[in-house]
Amino acid sequence: MTSTVEGSGPTAPTGPVSVRLRGIGKRFPGVIANDDIDIDVHRGTIHAIVGENGAGKSTLMKILYGVQPPDSGTIEIDGEQVRLSSPADAIRHGVGMVFQHFMLADNLTVLENVVLGAEKLHGIGGAARAEIARISAAYGLDIHPDTLVEDLGVGARQRVEILKVLYRGARIVILDEPTAVLVPQEVEELFANLQGLKREGLSVIFISHKLDEVLSVADEITVIRRGTTVRTVSPSEVTARQLAELMVGSELPSPSTETSTVTDQVLLSVRDLTLPVPSGRPLLDAVSFDIHRGEVLGIAGVEGNGQAELVESIMGMRPAATGTVSLDGQDIGGLSVRRRREAGIGYVPEDRHRHGLLLDAPLWENRILGHQTRSPSVKGPLIDKAGARSDTQRIIEQYDVRTPGADVLARALSGGNQQKLIVGREMSGDPVLLIAAHPTRGVDVGAQAAIWDHIKAARREGLAVLLISADLDELIGLSDRIEVILRGRLVGTFDPAHVTPEQLGSAMTGAGDDTEVSA
Amino acid sequence: MTPRMTKLLLGLSAPVLALVAAFAITSLVLLIAGDPVGGVWGEILSVPEGRNIANIVNSASVLYLSGIAVAIGFRMNLFNIGVDGQYRVAAFTAAVVAGEAWLPGYLNTVLAIVCAMAVGALWAGIAGVLRATRGVSEVISTIMLNFIATSLVAFLLRKAAVREEGSNNIGTKEIPEGSRIPSFSFGDGPGQEIYGFVVIAVLVGVLYWFLLGSTRFGFDLRATGRSTTAAVASGISVTKMVVAAMLLSGAVAGLVGMPLLFGESYTYGSTFQSGLGFAGIAIALLGRNHPVGVAIGALLFAFLNEQSNPLQILVGVSPDIVAITQGVIVLTVVVSYELVRRYGVRLEQQSVARALESERAQREEVTA
Amino acid sequence: MRRNKKLASIFAVSILALGATACGGDDGGSDNAGDGASSGGGASSDVKVGMAYDVGGRGDQSFNDSAAAGLDKATDEFGFESQESEATDGEAESAREERLVTFAEAGYDPVIAVGFAYAEALGKVSEQYPDTHFAIIDDSSLADSPNVASLTFAEEQGSFLVGAAAALKTEADHIGFVGGVETPLIQKFQAGYEAGAQAVNPDITIDVTYLSQPPDFSGFGDPAKGKTAAEGMFDGGADIVYHAAGGSGGGVFEAASEAGGKAIGVDSDQYETADDSVKDVIMTSMLKNVDVAVYEYLSKVADGDFPAGQTTYDLAVDGVGYSTSGGQIDDIVDQLDDYKQQIIDGDITVPTEPTS
Repeated sequence: MTSTVEGSGPTAPTGPVSVRLRGIGKRFPGVIANDDIDIDVHRGTIHAIVGENGAGKSTLMKILYGVQPPDSGTIEIDGEQVRLSSPADAIRHGVGMVFQHFMLADNLTVLENVVLGAEKLHGIGGAARAEIARISAAYGLDIHPDTLVEDLGVGARQRVEILKVLYRGARIVILDEPTAVLVPQEVEELFANLQGLKREGLSVIFISHKLDEVLSVADEITVIRRGTTVRTVSPSEVTARQLAELMVGSELPSPSTETSTVTDQVLLSVRDLTLPVPSGRPLLDAVSFDIHRGEVLGIAGVEGNGQAELVESIMGMRPAATGTVSLDGQDIGGLSVRRRREAGIGYVPEDRHRHGLLLDAPLWENRILGHQTRSPSVKGPLIDKAGARSDTQRIIEQYDVRTPGADVLARALSGGNQQKLIVGREMSGDPVLLIAAHPTRGVDVGAQAAIWDHIKAARREGLAVLLISADLDELIGLSDRIEVILRGRLVGTFDPAHVTPEQLGSAMTGAGDDTEVSA
Repeated sequence: MTPRMTKLLLGLSAPVLALVAAFAITSLVLLIAGDPVGGVWGEILSVPEGRNIANIVNSASVLYLSGIAVAIGFRMNLFNIGVDGQYRVAAFTAAVVAGEAWLPGYLNTVLAIVCAMAVGALWAGIAGVLRATRGVSEVISTIMLNFIATSLVAFLLRKAAVREEGSNNIGTKEIPEGSRIPSFSFGDGPGQEIYGFVVIAVLVGVLYWFLLGSTRFGFDLRATGRSTTAAVASGISVTKMVVAAMLLSGAVAGLVGMPLLFGESYTYGSTFQSGLGFAGIAIALLGRNHPVGVAIGALLFAFLNEQSNPLQILVGVSPDIVAITQGVIVLTVVVSYELVRRYGVRLEQQSVARALESERAQREEVTA
Repeated sequence: MRRNKKLASIFAVSILALGATACGGDDGGSDNAGDGASSGGGASSDVKVGMAYDVGGRGDQSFNDSAAAGLDKATDEFGFESQESEATDGEAESAREERLVTFAEAGYDPVIAVGFAYAEALGKVSEQYPDTHFAIIDDSSLADSPNVASLTFAEEQGSFLVGAAAALKTEADHIGFVGGVETPLIQKFQAGYEAGAQAVNPDITIDVTYLSQPPDFSGFGDPAKGKTAAEGMFDGGADIVYHAAGGSGGGVFEAASEAGGKAIGVDSDQYETADDSVKDVIMTSMLKNVDVAVYEYLSKVADGDFPAGQTTYDLAVDGVGYSTSGGQIDDIVDQLDDYKQQIIDGDITVPTEPTS
């Protein structure tokens, strides 16, 4: 299974190995997170590690960053075998990590954020400022020590995180899904920065599941599946599709839509939806759109531009919202969440752990959630346990939820299976409108394909879908129409058949003010 | 081992673990205090006499109602510290109503009990409304309401009190004989009588179990307790549930003093038992909010309380040892349940992982 | 979130457990068992005395301690064996019953119940154990039972005398009374005090305050409340304050000391037991000799006689009185003794309930 193709590709690096992992294994009770992982990261290269969700990438990174000790195997850094028992250990050996979620204090300056916890290195004054300026210049990070972090954009904040790691003396920088939060333009800037690190002789370990990005930036790619290294390849010798197949171990789906099923019947009509804030810019500003039966409307936008508020306002969870929302001609503006659900709105929430599931309840109870007033889960004022159980079993089968049974706690399932259960539940009771917020986020490729299939199938049946996603490929592939949301306003309509991710990216950041309406 | 067997074993291991740990720690405390370890355990583990059994059951029924009142809140993640104040306000009201005897016989009893539940619910409802509309933590507001209850009852008791010749007690008018709830006798010895109200306590337990486990309302309540955010997204009005849960908790709290009032003292006075609400918190924790678990917890507490006198008089240890034992048991139970719960979750994740593994293996065989 | 709640619960319960421990008093049976079981003195006897204290038990520096002193004196002198048990705060009626029953079952005879809270329980238990002899302090509702001795005190008579003393000593014609808990028992103190003061000066101003109302008994153990109440009286012009507030009395003394006024103690001679810093303000104390009552009862038991019915310890038998330690009232002792004699002779009948 394991084959390390060292030096086999044309551009394969040959420099000294800065990180060598051999036979790394980590077991959690009942789960083998890592099993016999072998990776060589060469100095001055960008080494990507790709794999499905749950393949063991994060466990591996935690081991390398000293958060968890491995059960077996060895770690060598610059030829010297080391034991990393804490992140402080890791830093001491020159390993630094940039997490997906930034750990910066908004109300402090860059300088303050960087020196926080590393005061001993260069103090907190002039020496530290000079060092930050030096690093910024050397690696082309374009960071000014005295800027307030709250004034920085997402990309700049990420560069601050990288700077923090370099300031602490890291020679090996691990980036966990760094592009997940970035728009395409910012991704390019990040990649330029990574090239800068590489030029200075640093090693970069880049974790991602976005294969196109990996192929464009990495010097070497290691694919992990089910806890072990499948292969290490050079980007020049594989296509994205081959990589994906290595990851999944089988053939791949794509999110492409089939022929349009859009009808001319307006199902959801939103007019002037505004969500005022007592002081400041409204979170939603006069949002208006229609969704027809059989239509998927995609909403693109950088996170935090009103997507969550839009969804919650339509669901009735934001009482302060003004404007009209009508479903199938009926004004539902005054209805409670429960009435709206009863009227036929299915809801796949953005954060399935917070909004979609009762993690410590069995699956069949989760089946009832959101359907407390509808059969087959209830009979009058009573819960119909048998009905809920058997319908959960139906969802488990139809949606391929991998679980030993309906009595398992939701917490025990993997993210993808949890999400399939939610989609299955929200598709129950014949909804007329499905609101799906990031339906495949954090879900493995197999589950992703299954969820796409279900959405497409329901659309054929005449379901209207409001799709929120940060994955532009998913938006373009599934939607019949894409609206871009920026600062709470819809700023442009695009036809997915003709738009590129870059165009969407410009609209999302407000870069192209001359909004092209290419629909 | 079948999953059901595993569950059962896991369920049993927690209390066993807790009791063993409590036994060890208490013995250690006794040793340090220089008390006779053997004598203490000999006394605690001796077969109780008839009147002791009656006392234990009677006292447990009171503690049980308190535990259930607290458990209703707990199931929704509401920390109703105020059961103590709620039951005192309610018991006082019921004592006055029943003592005045506006209605004849058992009608009087029923009216008094309904009043107690209503007053208990109202008192708890204040905290519920404050939480729902103003976001005031129910912990803070119920603690404050306890203080207010203490003063209010004291003030009203002075107004309503009647005095018996030669006694320095003060209390409300005695409940007429026709409105008292008769006790069951289970032996000839003195004191071998069990409150008739025990039946109602059991009924409350059954209703609690049914309401939470089998009704839509119960589902909404539990769902809100498990995740407020998921509850909101599923269409549950959390503010309504907060008020409803507090009202319900308070209504049951209103029943707490009833076994004592109608089965023992027939009056609310300066010697009426206090502190029952706080015991209820410990008992709800001990019983994991489960109707049967709470019953076991209540019996255990009543049993330990009953040991207090013989331990002092016959063995010569301090009553504090009993209090320490109670505290130790609650702590060990909470800790051991958490340990067992985590272990159970891991077991389940293992079984899910195994199921997945074998499926994947099959899938790969097919594709291979 | 879940985790936090859980931690909070554990925390809360730990506090409760600690609270329960604290409430139980820190000086319970364990060491008393040793004290009691040993029979001091030269004499020895088959008599086993059971002593059921009220909340606080031995070591409360008040009522229970006074009873314990009587018990100790009797056991030393007569060689009794004794065992003690104390009530926990807010306990069930059945627990009090059970305490008495356990004593009776274990062969303790007599069993002394300290405090009126035992009245109801004793009513039941004395019927169940007709061959055991009981005594109860501060309650006379069981005076008709053949096997119960009710030991009560004429607190109003002692209070009358300190009331008279206050009226004789005040320079402002303005005095005060701080009651611990507004129970009928404490109202007896108030009634006697008022009557005594008015006997001296019918126009005297008397401020009256109670620190708590039953069933809240915190007024007997809250010096801060006592101080606040007394400060109010001194600020209002009173110059002497009498307290019948158990442990809260310390606060009254402090207030008197700070205001330059005087205070009157209660139950025992508090001049002897009070902190040096406040000693000087205690001009006298109303003595309620619970120890005398317990000792006298037990000395009769030693003679083979179990008294029943009510015994009132009044001025005539020195069951109540006033103290003269410190010498602050030496100049009015004659006048007070005159009142005392009038009460003993029945020329003055002291009311037991306040007129207002």
